[in-house]
Amino acid sequence: MKTFLSLVGLTALLTWTGPAMSAVNIFACHPEWGALANEIGGDRVSVYTATTALQDPHKIQARPSLIARARVADLVFCTGAELEVGWLPVVIGQSGNNKISVGKPGNLEAANYVPLQEVPTLLDRSLGDVHPRGNPHIQWGPQNIQLVANELTKRLDYIDPAGRAYYDSRLASFTQRWTQATKRWEQEAAPLKGIAVIEHHKELTYLFDWLGMPVVGSLEPKPGVEPTASHLTELVEQQKGNPAKLIVITTQKNPEPAEWLSGQIKIKEIALPATVGGTPGAKDLFSMYDDAISRLLAAEKPQS
Amino acid sequence: MLKAYVTSCAIALALVLPAVAKAQTNEQLEQIRKQIQDLKESYDTRIQALEKQLKEAEEAAAKAQAAATQAQSAAGQAKQSAEAASQATGLKPPASPSAFNPALSLILMGGYYNSDQDPRTRVVTGFLGSDEYGLPNRGFDLGETEIQISANIDHLFYGQATFSIEDGTISAEEAFFQTTSIGHGFTVKGGRFFSGIGYFNSVHNHAWDFQDPALVQKAFLGDNFGLDGVQVSWIAPLSVFYVEVGGEGGKPVEFPFPDSFNNSNGFQVGTVFAHLGGDIGASSSYRFGVWGMTSENGVTDQPIPALDFTGFSNTLTGGSDNLWGLDFVYKWAPNGDPSYRNFKFVTEWMHRSLNSTLTYAPGTAQTQTGSFVASQSGWYAQAIYQFHPYWRVGLRYDQLNEGSYDLGTGLVGAPGLAPPDFTPKRWSAMVDWSPSEFSRFRVQFQQDKSQQGLTDNQVFLQYIFSLGTHGAHKF
Repeated sequence: MKTFLSLVGLTALLTWTGPAMSAVNIFACHPEWGALANEIGGDRVSVYTATTALQDPHKIQARPSLIARARVADLVFCTGAELEVGWLPVVIGQSGNNKISVGKPGNLEAANYVPLQEVPTLLDRSLGDVHPRGNPHIQWGPQNIQLVANELTKRLDYIDPAGRAYYDSRLASFTQRWTQATKRWEQEAAPLKGIAVIEHHKELTYLFDWLGMPVVGSLEPKPGVEPTASHLTELVEQQKGNPAKLIVITTQKNPEPAEWLSGQIKIKEIALPATVGGTPGAKDLFSMYDDAISRLLAAEKPQS
Repeated sequence: MLKAYVTSCAIALALVLPAVAKAQTNEQLEQIRKQIQDLKESYDTRIQALEKQLKEAEEAAAKAQAAATQAQSAAGQAKQSAEAASQATGLKPPASPSAFNPALSLILMGGYYNSDQDPRTRVVTGFLGSDEYGLPNRGFDLGETEIQISANIDHLFYGQATFSIEDGTISAEEAFFQTTSIGHGFTVKGGRFFSGIGYFNSVHNHAWDFQDPALVQKAFLGDNFGLDGVQVSWIAPLSVFYVEVGGEGGKPVEFPFPDSFNNSNGFQVGTVFAHLGGDIGASSSYRFGVWGMTSENGVTDQPIPALDFTGFSNTLTGGSDNLWGLDFVYKWAPNGDPSYRNFKFVTEWMHRSLNSTLTYAPGTAQTQTGSFVASQSGWYAQAIYQFHPYWRVGLRYDQLNEGSYDLGTGLVGAPGLAPPDFTPKRWSAMVDWSPSEFSRFRVQFQQDKSQQGLTDNQVFLQYIFSLGTHGAHKF
């Protein structure tokens, strides 16, 4: 009887979720969404970011710590478009949390609110790891960030109605600063227009599109397939007829293929942050863009 | 330009005129001069007016151009927000009724087996008879083909089934529903499913790290111990640690008692399990597990291949099979990114107490009956290291402990009724190549010393392919 009572007491202690005044728990899949959640949510949210800029978001596993965090989340804030299909459904399904399943207000898929590029016309695994709905690495389009910020504010207003005025004012402040920053970046990055690049994977597509930098090649022979010696040799050949001026990878990737190609065709190779936290300078969304553009500008200068 | 031309015309005229004017009077000359002047002035005025018009037209054109560009970008933005608005309503409208079809995937597996000893007569001394050890046939073999189908059923439930097709028979390895909406950390699962005890027990064979299960898994739980019944699990809201507790009840699918027909209203098997997991820094994560299982034997004269008594027949009546175990898995990847390199370590330890009334050597002059308790244990440890996006190597060691038999009065003195003086052991090494997450080739070498008196050197070649949409695997 005593054991039974102490078990009941223990269960009560463990299931008690505390007073309703606690912060909104946000489970952000990636650092860009964690940063955006902090911009809009401020003091009223407690943000856990599931991955870092040094981790390939396709290869994350549904480890116990993620399930434990999803268990207490009020909002799961991810990209969607099947970027997290390898782990997020298991994390949500195992969490025992009925607020965060797909379709609920507690599940925000950023890609649903953004026009996606590179929507494939043919879906087949022989073409590599193709995302059926389009390119999901949307954090590099400034218009995309604004659209997602707008939707995030709506969700927070819904989940935490008492904080409505707070979230709306933070959105207004963010929108003003983001719009100004976007104009400034477009001016600063004007010299980059037309500079052809070779990428590693299609994770910077939105950045190159926004800055008007044509992508003439990719280190991966097909999306998701590691660079091969034969494909890199093809890129060396291609450089003669369709030259690129820069090889741009991210700090998440293994730099060896890019370094090899850079040595072969004598063009600069640089690494940008894949997202917030990818380089020391990329501390939040604003400095992430600042850092990427300044790295590109520095590389674009003629070799001295 | 026009001005210059007109001026030069005027000059030309002025030069020509004196010759013409030779025959004219001075008055007429004056008149002509005045006319030229008027012409010049009127052309001047017209040129100025034309230039003014041109300038205004250019300005207007520039303004129109700017307005057009603005309209274009506004249209572009409107298009973007319209697209966003249509996407904001959620998923795009389905193109056809088949949009709600479940995720469907096909697993193709097969391979080749080469061994020193005849797989049909191989046993694990003291644990598994030849029918139960289940080594593959020598040579090329198709193995198992698996079909998995899963989907959300409605707002409350999720369903999944895995069918195994082998040698002309199709069976449901798992076919269950699961709740999605209870919340508060609870999940209820019902139907046929692999038990949540242990680590590899709930993992389908296409996701194993070796071609075959560990010896202790095979001996105590079969390839995957499954039950028809109900599972309830709960995750604590601790956020910094993963703590899960759960329990199951039902009827075992086919193990540990092969003739599992039980004319009973209640549960024949019950399990409890608990897991503790978390991260260490950004690079490591782990999960501990502890579990227990009790399975009733309601059958009279149940044969027990679970204990290999070579040369004697034997049957059990009543009693239970009680197991408990510990499992531990540790995963490491640099900065938590497993794309290029990662490491995985798994170990499990299990203990079994088989508790029943044994009729020993029935039908012979030596038939003896009495209470019987066999206490045995076993463990394994495996390490897998991925050193390249496509390549992994693995090493595994298996060991079983024969333990002890506790004989009741009726069985004392029964000849040969004692645990063999032997420790089954096995070493396995494997290399696999996976050019994508959907294909894998494996070669595995095994030195199998699980049968007393011989060493069985085995080589496996295996392929595993996955087509279609397959759900993500667990940790």
